[in-house]
Amino acid sequence: MKKDFIINLKEALELDGQVVKLSDTFRDYEEWSSLKELSLIAMLDSEYGIEIEMNELNRHKTVGDLLELIAVHSSRQ
Amino acid sequence: MGLLSFNNVGITGIKAAVPVKIINNYEYDLFFKKEDIKEIIDKIGVRERRFADEKTCSSDLCFAAAEKLISEMNINREEIDLLVFISQTPDFRMPSTSVLLQERLKLPTGTIAFDINLGCSAFLYGLSIVYSMLSAGQLRKALILDGETRSKVYSLKDRKTGFLFGDGGVAALIERDERFGKSFFSLNSDGSRESLIKINAGGYRRMSSCETVKEKVVDEYGNIRSEEQGYMNGADVFNFVIREVPRDFHRLLDFSGTDVSAIDYFVFHQANSYINGYLAKKLKLPVDKIPSTIHKFGNTSSVSIPLTIVSELRNKLEGRKHLLLSGFGVGLTWGTALIDLMNCYIGEIVEI
Repeated sequence: MKKDFIINLKEALELDGQVVKLSDTFRDYEEWSSLKELSLIAMLDSEYGIEIEMNELNRHKTVGDLLELIAVHSSRQ
Repeated sequence: MGLLSFNNVGITGIKAAVPVKIINNYEYDLFFKKEDIKEIIDKIGVRERRFADEKTCSSDLCFAAAEKLISEMNINREEIDLLVFISQTPDFRMPSTSVLLQERLKLPTGTIAFDINLGCSAFLYGLSIVYSMLSAGQLRKALILDGETRSKVYSLKDRKTGFLFGDGGVAALIERDERFGKSFFSLNSDGSRESLIKINAGGYRRMSSCETVKEKVVDEYGNIRSEEQGYMNGADVFNFVIREVPRDFHRLLDFSGTDVSAIDYFVFHQANSYINGYLAKKLKLPVDKIPSTIHKFGNTSSVSIPLTIVSELRNKLEGRKHLLLSGFGVGLTWGTALIDLMNCYIGEIVEI
């Protein structure tokens, strides 16, 4: 799950050729913008079926937080 | 639940008007560099849009469309018993613009005229109200005039909204006739999200003052606007729309007992091409049944659905056609409708 997620995240945020670590705060990436935020929401919805209110998503700071969100969501299914 | 159905009422003709002035977005580098604009435009898909000049209001665009519709369809003005004007860019705070249009169009004083103040979902709300009033049985013909000059609402110095919106107006004739079959509506509202798309000042909660018209830097990206100009939180709107619009789409299909394959065209509010593309993919709809005008007219709010019908479905609506309409936006409000058309007249777009 982790490997696929990193691939999906890199595609959504257009992080070509970068090393992505779980401790990275993804909103601090140079590539981050309000347009990339849409891509992230779209990826969580289309790849993982995650519906999340923005105030909850905004509490997720790191790549690891997102991975945990997905893990918790898929364990509920 | 906001579900409605009607029988024997339908749209018999539509005409649209857009300003003659074309804005080429990729070249529109008044306040931002071209290379910075490009990423935004690639994503929202608005290559061109129309801007009304200082003197032109939503009502002028609707008036031009209505005059042409009346002459081309040879409509007797005396038979127009209802006029509904849809807009959030009216001529004045009072009186209602619909009443000014009753006079300008030389309609009888027996005409019922009022405004509907709603945004991107408003064409569906307007149709449902007009269908309801026509179903009461006495009214002969109804006009929906739906116009927006959103170019005057948003700051051109705010990249979140400065490249998205355009202007336009439509006139639609609605009649009761046995040739029309059933139509269905689902309409929704969520006021807890009122702040996602908003103009904060200029109403009576925060009246206009020297303070409200001042331009200010509003975020870490250096976007500039005043409190009298529109604000939009794109990510929150997107997040809401991709969840609730598909849900409402399926609710309406269930309610109407319609199979998705029986629908001839799916006409979505033209929000931006990223949202619209995502919705089409999520709903697994055939691309050739989804007309689009976001690339040439931008987001025209409530006008975008009928403007897209006029622009893209002219000469494609002979005989009986089933159209699914989906509108969503400021409020937030959203809705889905399934309408039955029978030889609907679609005029050419007028430029004024």
